[in-house]
Amino acid sequence: MTRAALAGVSVFALGYVLAEPLHLPVLLYDPWTGGVTLSSAVATRSMRYFGDLLLATLAGLAAAGLVHRLPARMPIAVAATASLSLVALDVLYYLSRLLGAS
Amino acid sequence: MNDRALLLAHAVLGFAAVFSGTHQAAHAVVAALGRPHRRALRRFAFIAPAAVIAQAACGLAIYPAYRVRVRAGFDLHAPMVAQLFELKEHFAALALALVIAASAAGGFDRRPEARWPLAALSCVGAALLWTAAVIGLYVTARHPL
Repeated sequence: MTRAALAGVSVFALGYVLAEPLHLPVLLYDPWTGGVTLSSAVATRSMRYFGDLLLATLAGLAAAGLVHRLPARMPIAVAATASLSLVALDVLYYLSRLLGAS
Repeated sequence: MNDRALLLAHAVLGFAAVFSGTHQAAHAVVAALGRPHRRALRRFAFIAPAAVIAQAACGLAIYPAYRVRVRAGFDLHAPMVAQLFELKEHFAALALALVIAASAAGGFDRRPEARWPLAALSCVGAALLWTAAVIGLYVTARHPL
């Protein structure tokens, strides 16, 4: 269970942070018209947040489901270190964007 | 539902998420120190994810209204606040994954070697929830919906 949870967190963190820089196609929501489109655009007035979150959630759930079925190969401490490192990288990336914009 | 009522619900559910996430993290640390709190961890395996998912759903519901009514003003007059709000959203997304994963695993995995990793996951999730909550309160104080 813990290995599956750690795999889910790792893939979520990876998918969430990479979806925008890699221009992965996600659902975009236009709050002015209420329209929903599937697109890889990053600089429109539409919102990518819902799509990025959905993509990362689905990827994380898939990874957790997969690891839950596979035999354990990595010690939990190593998997936890990898997961928390990926989360830390996400945090640093978003903090750097905040500081870069100021 | 009215957007302001949704904002209030988001705030109340946000506090519920922060406190349940913190409570779960505290139980996970105590369990890692050798005093297993199985009943509490089992209880928070449901309470913390429910609170975090409910506040996230409420936040997602009012996000479009924020973009239309508030964000444009921030972009013109306070771009740093707009960026802070973006940071809050990213932290909330990461906290969502961490709290759900740590709570679900913590409630059902009784192996001793899983205790410290789950405690670390829970603590990082709770820290991100607190940060998101404080930024959310600041942004709302600057310009509510």
